Amino acid sequence: MTLLSLQGICKTFRQGEIEVEALKNIDLDVDEGEFAALVGPSGSGKTTLLNIIGGLDAPTSGTAHLNGIDITRLKESQLSDFRLFQLGFIFQAYNLVPVLSALENVELIMILQGRPAKERRARAQHYLELVGLGREMNRRPSALSGGQQQRVAVARALACEPRLVLADEPTANLDSENASALLDIMHKLSREQKTTFIFSTHDPRVMERAERLIKLRDGRIESDAVVEQADRAVPA
Amino acid sequence: MKARRSHLPFIVLLLLAWRNLWRHRRRTIITLSSIAFGFGLAVLFIGLNDGAHNSMVRNAIKLGEGSITVQPRGYLQAPANHKFLPAGASLLAQIDSLGIPGHVDPRISIQVLASTAHNAVGAGLEGLISSRDQRVEMLEPFLIAGEWVTAGDARGILIGDSMARKLKVKIGSKVVLMAGGRGGDSQQHLGRVRGIFDSRVDDLDSFLILSDIALTQRFLEGEGADPTLQPVTRLAVYLDQQKQLQQWKNTLRREVGAADIEVLDWREMMPQLVQFITVDDAGNYIFLSLILVLVVFGIVNTVLMSVLERTREFGLLRALGLGRHQLLLLVFCESLVLSVLAVLLGWVVGGGTHLWFAVNGLDLSAAIGDATAMAGTFMDPVVHTELSPARVAQLTGIVFGATLATGIYPALKAARVTPVAALRT
Repeated sequence: MTLLSLQGICKTFRQGEIEVEALKNIDLDVDEGEFAALVGPSGSGKTTLLNIIGGLDAPTSGTAHLNGIDITRLKESQLSDFRLFQLGFIFQAYNLVPVLSALENVELIMILQGRPAKERRARAQHYLELVGLGREMNRRPSALSGGQQQRVAVARALACEPRLVLADEPTANLDSENASALLDIMHKLSREQKTTFIFSTHDPRVMERAERLIKLRDGRIESDAVVEQADRAVPA
Repeated sequence: MKARRSHLPFIVLLLLAWRNLWRHRRRTIITLSSIAFGFGLAVLFIGLNDGAHNSMVRNAIKLGEGSITVQPRGYLQAPANHKFLPAGASLLAQIDSLGIPGHVDPRISIQVLASTAHNAVGAGLEGLISSRDQRVEMLEPFLIAGEWVTAGDARGILIGDSMARKLKVKIGSKVVLMAGGRGGDSQQHLGRVRGIFDSRVDDLDSFLILSDIALTQRFLEGEGADPTLQPVTRLAVYLDQQKQLQQWKNTLRREVGAADIEVLDWREMMPQLVQFITVDDAGNYIFLSLILVLVVFGIVNTVLMSVLERTREFGLLRALGLGRHQLLLLVFCESLVLSVLAVLLGWVVGGGTHLWFAVNGLDLSAAIGDATAMAGTFMDPVVHTELSPARVAQLTGIVFGATLATGIYPALKAARVTPVAALRT
């Protein structure tokens, strides 16, 4: 079932006197439960496309439907609520609120969602344990490594039950070991919970695990291919 | 889209605000200290000011005509010896029956020419019940020669040292007191100097002559008054509680006010003192406003810095679903917490300073010497700070409001953050 449908998405930026076409007529459908990667060189339009899908930026033209909602027609306050209830975000770095502990960071979104205290506390603890941070949940971000912080971001993104998780270069600042561990966790949770993931990346390690590779070049989709999973073992 | 809306409880806002405030502990402490110092300074300054003014008012009431004065209508605008209350005794009894907490002093004022063989000066002869009048308590300690007049003494007078020098008199000297009458006639009585005072208020020392009411009644008899009715020029009402002034003024106006009798409070009796205090207060408020402006700029700087350095964090929060108005509230809440802390710390510093000076006082005698007289009264040289509950509420409100207002601009700035631009920083 199609979760996300983009049609004729264009995005033009003005840089001084020059108009830059960041995205050119993008059509894309993503089904529920997909683990897809937007790949391509820097400047190909990955982050811009992710921002439009996430309602963080508006396209110059085109429509973007998620779960039947036309994101491009939402007002700003509606977009905030849309992001809160429909999406999970994992950014490249500085994902967490520094004055809150890991547990509080995960809980914050659920507080905004208005979930009962007991439920959100239980869910936050559960997801932090799932990402292997059961012992570190009361630490603040400054007391966590980069990899641990990204895992907290994953727990936060998933604990609030989003329809779609958007991850912008989630492994860019991690070493191989941490990047691999993070990808394993995300892949596992995606499989178990049937949560749709869309990454932007040019990290080969992410590409290896993606089930669908959407290659962007100069603001256009150059190729869009489902990757065979037969010989990939999903980590336990 | 489902009509689900984001929800940020106030307690979470407070928690975030509290923690954000202590993210830069040193900066917050410096900011709070500067506010507390400014506040302490303002409390001390206002307290001293109010203390000095209250001291002047208390002295003016005691030296003058009481908290409330009952006197012939029109006497204030045009004093004259023929204007008096003919039935003083019955009026006094009527006022006494009201049960006013305090006491009432009957007085007679006569404008006289005081003359000796050497000189003659215009003077105000004030007749009072020399055994119990409030002025006895105020002026007796300032007697520099002789003794106080005794009750029923129909000749004894007390004069200030300035007048004594002008008239070249000493204790026991005779002074002729001559007063103009209604029909153009004049009458005169002989006074004998029983004592000389130096109140340090020039207006009193060079103009006032005090006597027992018996002497001044003789002048009123000359104006046609019936001595058996104990005529007076006025009845000075002294209240134990100044805060009851309006209440008793209204009661007196209702009970004894008439076409020929008016009831005035000290503000109406001494407009020059009220004006002096108003002008003095205005100058002090300007000074305090400058302190407030400096404090406010300090806070704006701190909160704005704190906002600008967190642009990316605000972008993250907005991306995660925090609404624009919630972000505004979050930053405003930081100002709110800062304001509460500032006021609390300010009262610790300012209140402590006030308490010390309220008990020990600030001795200004070295700085101002004998120049304590102004606007017809005088200020005690040791000023004790005084703060009324209304002043406490006013100061708290001003500092709290100003501190809180400084949060508006940074909060608006934070709320204008767009997630994409902020996350790029």
